[in-house]
Amino acid sequence: MHATPPSLVASPSIRTFAEHCVRPCREGLRRALVGAVLFGTVSSSASAYTVTLTAAAPQSVYLQVGVGSFTNNYNIGGQPGNNTTINTVSTMVAAAVVGNGTAQAMTTDSTATQSYWDGYTYCSVPGQVYIGGFYRTTGGTTTAALVTATVPAALINATGDTIPFSKIRWTSSGNGDTGAEPFPAGTFVNGGVQNVGSMSSNTWNESCWTYSYLNNTVPPAGRFTGVVRYTLSSP
Amino acid sequence: MTTHSRGVQSAFFLACALSIIWPSPAPAKTTTIDDSGTQTIEPAVILRWKSAAPSRSGTDNRMVGSTTIRVRINVTPWLRHTGRIYLNLPAQQPGPIAASWITQGRFLPGQVHSGNRVLVYAGPITTPFMEDVLTFQFSVDGTLIRRTFPVTFHFEMDEA
Repeated sequence: MHATPPSLVASPSIRTFAEHCVRPCREGLRRALVGAVLFGTVSSSASAYTVTLTAAAPQSVYLQVGVGSFTNNYNIGGQPGNNTTINTVSTMVAAAVVGNGTAQAMTTDSTATQSYWDGYTYCSVPGQVYIGGFYRTTGGTTTAALVTATVPAALINATGDTIPFSKIRWTSSGNGDTGAEPFPAGTFVNGGVQNVGSMSSNTWNESCWTYSYLNNTVPPAGRFTGVVRYTLSSP
Repeated sequence: MTTHSRGVQSAFFLACALSIIWPSPAPAKTTTIDDSGTQTIEPAVILRWKSAAPSRSGTDNRMVGSTTIRVRINVTPWLRHTGRIYLNLPAQQPGPIAASWITQGRFLPGQVHSGNRVLVYAGPITTPFMEDVLTFQFSVDGTLIRRTFPVTFHFEMDEA
């Protein structure tokens, strides 16, 4: 790690010469010094110190759907943390409108409205679910990290009746947002894994999702539930 | 006599002008200093993201790491002279590197970007060796890092 070149010549002879030299031999001393310095310079090789730098934890990912955890906002040094909360979106369809084809807005119990990037109020609750995160990596990686949803085939009630998950869709936006959303609008598949967005390396990505139930069929009465799991996968 | 006097005066001014113009100062001689006595107190520099999360634009990708180095340079060749000692961080792979350091007082604290050098001492050289403990912080763009890499720096003397 450390190159060890030959030392510059210390030239103890200079010291001895100087100690014994008095005014009349000043010129001789000067020549001896010049010679010694030249000799020292020529005989030395370049000396340099080397340290080795290694990136620790070169990759990290963070995904937040609903509430999440940061010690503070990113722009003031916040650090991401784990949050095990599972948020819910739901709707209550009045008997008079069941199956009439008018989509029913779904609301959430998530309280996440602000971006952990800078504290900006990006989403509105209870109508929107915050989804955001990042993918950190060293090197010049350009392949994006993918966010997928693992979706059951259907929502199910206590008696086993079902509603296909494809009856739920979402739009995507954000307060003050312009341009394409990293997590665009979509509709759930009826069972399976579907892509719901992507993240370029070393960028912060966020959207607000507004879910709705299509309400174009007449299912049996009951409370229908299902759980969708979102996953962020880095290359 | 008057004409002659003017001639002398002109010659005098010409001589002064020459004496001012011709003796250009000799450029300082720069010599790399033997630092073979230098030791790393911490063997490797671990880089971590300066910010755990990236920015929206993807522009804040600095990784930083610190290490402490016991610097011991051999300045015997310049003993009883006056000199200026610089820390030189050459341009090197993987790209732009920034280094800052604090000292225990023998050398000056400072910061430097690769491809440059910074003064760490100016004054008389009174001892054969100069020592100090420098705590460095290195900063590198994480998107340039593909593997473990060496960073090399050296000290150099400008003789007065």
